[in-house]
Parts: sequence; C-alpha cells; structure tokens
Amino acid sequence: MSDNHNNTSPTEASDAPTTHFGFKQVEKNQKASLVANVFDSVAAKYDVMNDLMSMGVHRLWKRFAIDCSGVRAGQKVLDIAGGTGDLTAKFSRLVGPTGNVTLADINLSMLKVGRDKLRDRGLVSNIDYVQADAEALPFPDNHFDVVTMAFGLRNVTEKQNALNSIYRVLKPGGRLLVLEFSKPTSEQLSKLYDTYSFHILPKMGQLVANDAESYQYLAESIRMHPDQETLKGMFETAGFDQCDYQNLTGGIVALHRGYKF
Amino acid sequence: MPTSALVSAVIETAANKILALDPDSVARMASLKGARLIAYVDPLPFAVVLVFSEQVDVLALHEPFQDTVATLNHKDCCIKTSLDTLPELKHINQLTRLIQQNKLQVEGELAVAQQVSGLFQQLDIDVEELLAAKTNDVVAHQAMSWFSAVKRKATGALSEFNKVASNALIEEKQIAAPKLAVLHFSDEVNALRDDAARLDARLLQLEQKSI
Ligand SMILES: C[S@@+](CC[C@H](N)C(=O)[O-])C[C@H]1O[C@@H](n2cnc3c(N)ncnc32)[C@H](O)[C@@H]1O
Repeated sequence: MSDNHNNTSPTEASDAPTTHFGFKQVEKNQKASLVANVFDSVAAKYDVMNDLMSMGVHRLWKRFAIDCSGVRAGQKVLDIAGGTGDLTAKFSRLVGPTGNVTLADINLSMLKVGRDKLRDRGLVSNIDYVQADAEALPFPDNHFDVVTMAFGLRNVTEKQNALNSIYRVLKPGGRLLVLEFSKPTSEQLSKLYDTYSFHILPKMGQLVANDAESYQYLAESIRMHPDQETLKGMFETAGFDQCDYQNLTGGIVALHRGYKF
Repeated sequence: MPTSALVSAVIETAANKILALDPDSVARMASLKGARLIAYVDPLPFAVVLVFSEQVDVLALHEPFQDTVATLNHKDCCIKTSLDTLPELKHINQLTRLIQQNKLQVEGELAVAQQVSGLFQQLDIDVEELLAAKTNDVVAHQAMSWFSAVKRKATGALSEFNKVASNALIEEKQIAAPKLAVLHFSDEVNALRDDAARLDARLLQLEQKSI
C-alpha cells in the first residue's frame, strides 16, 4: 500500500499531484493548510475532546509510549506534532534541568494552547517551542536522543519525508516512537470502531466543539492511515533498525518503534 | 489496553495525592530531585520506576534487570525483590538480613531506596484537619478518636504478627507461626474488623447528623 496517492482522477482538469485529506482527494500543496484549518478549529477544545472521545484511554496510550521511550535525565527529546504538550509535560520532568524537550508543531494555535498549559503547570525552564513541519525539521543532524510523534503522522502530507527527516535529526543510538491510530486486529472490533468513529464521533464533535466536520476528518484520516505492517516498512525505508510495533486496545492504536544505529 | 500503563498511572496518582497531604514532603523530596528508584517485584511482569522531581512520576519498564543495572547513573537505585518481601523493606535495619537471605538485591545508590522509604514513612498527615474541611470539627474529632483506637489495635496485632514471623525466620525454624499465636492473631483481626464496622456506622450517623 502506498501512503501518498498520486492518483489524479481522470476527471480533474489539473495535473497537480493529489493526496488524501480524509476521504477527499486534494492537491498535495493544499493538504497542509486544510489540516491547519482543522487544528486551528479544534485547538481550544482539543484536550476536552480527547478525553471524551477516547474515554480517557488516550492517556494510557501516551503513558505506554513514554514507558517505551527510555527517556533519561540529561537527554534531548523532540516531541514533534506535540500539539497541546501531553508527552512534553512528562518528558520535561524526566529529562530534568540538564536535559531539554522541544515541543514542535506546524500549527501555532495548538502550540500556544500547549505552551500556556505547560507554563500553568510550572514547566518552563527546559522546554523549547518551535513551529515546524515534520517533513522539513529545522534542527541539526544527529541532535536528539529520542523523537516522539503522537497522533500526528496521519496528518502529514508526505509521511515518508517526515520519517526521513526525523531519522536525520536523531543521534546514532536514538529512537523514534510513533503512536498512531491503526487497524483493529479483529473483524468485530473493526465494525464496532467504524460505527463509533463515523456515526458517534462527528456528533460528539458537533455537540461539544460545534464542529462536526473536523471530527469527520479525524475519522476519515484514521481510515486512510497506513496499517501496522505498512508503517513498519516505511520506518525501514527511512533507515531505522530493529523496527517493531505493539498493538494497543486491539490495534485501534499502534506504537511503532525504530532505532538509528 | 496496556495494563502496565494503568498500574503505573494508579501508583503515580496515589503517591502524589498522599505526598500532597503532607506539606513537609516537598522539602523532604528536595534531596531526591533527579533520583530514580527502579523496583523489580516478582511476580510483576514489568519493573516500576519512580522518578523524582517536584512530584513523583511513575513509569513501567519493560527491560530485563541486568540491562537496567548496566545503565544506572549515580542517582539511580535498582532493587529486585518479591511481593511477599515488600512490606519488610520499610524496616531499613532489616535490609542486610534480606540481602543475605537473597530476598533482596540492590544495585546502585542504596541511599535513594532508603530516602524513598523514609519519605513515605515520615508522612505526617493531619487527617483530622482534612476531615474537618470536608465535614465539621465535631465530626472530624469524633472520627479521629475512633480511628486512633482502631489504629492502636491494628498496630498491636500487626507487630505481634511481625514478631512471630521474624522470630520464625531468624531462627530458621519452620515458617509456620505457633498455633497459639495464630489463634491470638486471628482474634485480634476479628476485633479489628468489628471496630472498623462500628467506626463505619458511627461515621455515617455523624455525617447524617451534620447535614
Ligand atoms: C491530533 S494532534 C496530536 C497532538 C499531541 N501529539 C497529542 O497526542 O495530543 C495532531 C497534531 O499534529 C500537528 N501536525 C499536523 N501536520 C503536521 C506537520 N506536517 N508537522 C508537524 N505537526 C503537524 C497538528 O497541528 C496537531 O497539533
């Protein structure tokens, strides 16, 4: 399965390469701004909606990712597509005053919500906030000990570019962890999950955030995201070693891990 | 569902809530800042890591003991023990005996383990004041005097049990406690249970009165 669909439909007048935005086909150069609209629109209610939609389980998925990160005092961590900073908050305490965490996101609204939240919690001294596109990270080569990306990769236009870029900024010996929605392992769970994401989720989005469309996109983007094995292959293509993944909650989410040696 | 994440979340929430009840724990935690205590507790399938900053972060670690030991730094302590032995760790003076009996393995900075044990033992929580904030002074005072009576009995019963158990262990006799001591212990436990039930009922009464 190829991640980026260069399949311009024959009826389209334009020859510009396209990709998916949820179930829609859009021109590649438009996807980033469409994604930006989604996250501009959900930023303020993002944390509440996360708790509601996942019934709090997203906290356990993130906790599991942090457990597997092996982050230690003094290390440099990049939390790319870090949004409102859930992972960054914990990393900031784990790396301590001798370490550093960079919270990077393409979207300024999400970054601002994240920065305000972390400052309110007294986490200031060892966190940098950087507006950055995962596909072209503005950091030196071999810079970070650990890079994490939670629920961000599916929004990126060229996912392989993002993985390549992360590989470049990781130090040798460093590891990448990608937490992302994936493919449920059982048929029944898959059906149940589809009903939830396509029927209940947008309604919740409408009720709580007055924004059914963004949550419709969320459901569609999950469906369009590469499955576990495909993503593992993309890790390998980027150069990562010892790539593996662990399914969480029956494969609704998967944590992929790869090392740069 | 990652069970280990659920376990570490529960431990982390409980530990921070308990520590927050004692205003002195902030000062006592200061010397632990940056320290890690890693505990492999048989039969738990993962290790539990306590990381100290302004609060305690709890992680679940899925690495083998030897690999963890190889990466310890100067403020880390790694212990390996079993669930049965865990309650004995609060007696710091018993650590050597436990190590000799192969019930406890300690690698890295032992002082970290001692300080963590001390941190939780020295907790001085004014339950009466906390209760008073939620109910009223009379209810809180009544509840506390009942609670103290129950606690005295519980401590008595437990120390009796500890004495019996440690005598049996030290003398390397049979582990089973003498029959009389067991009977006495279960009498104490029954009395304790009755006291607890009475306390429960009394608290309910007082609560209804105070509404
Ligand atoms: C669903 S949120 C996840 C936020 C956070 N990591 C979490 O788990 O709560 C997805 C985030 O990815 C960001 N994002 C989307 N495309 C991106 C890109 N190309 N580079 C960096 N961040 C991107 C969005 O702005 C948004 O904040």
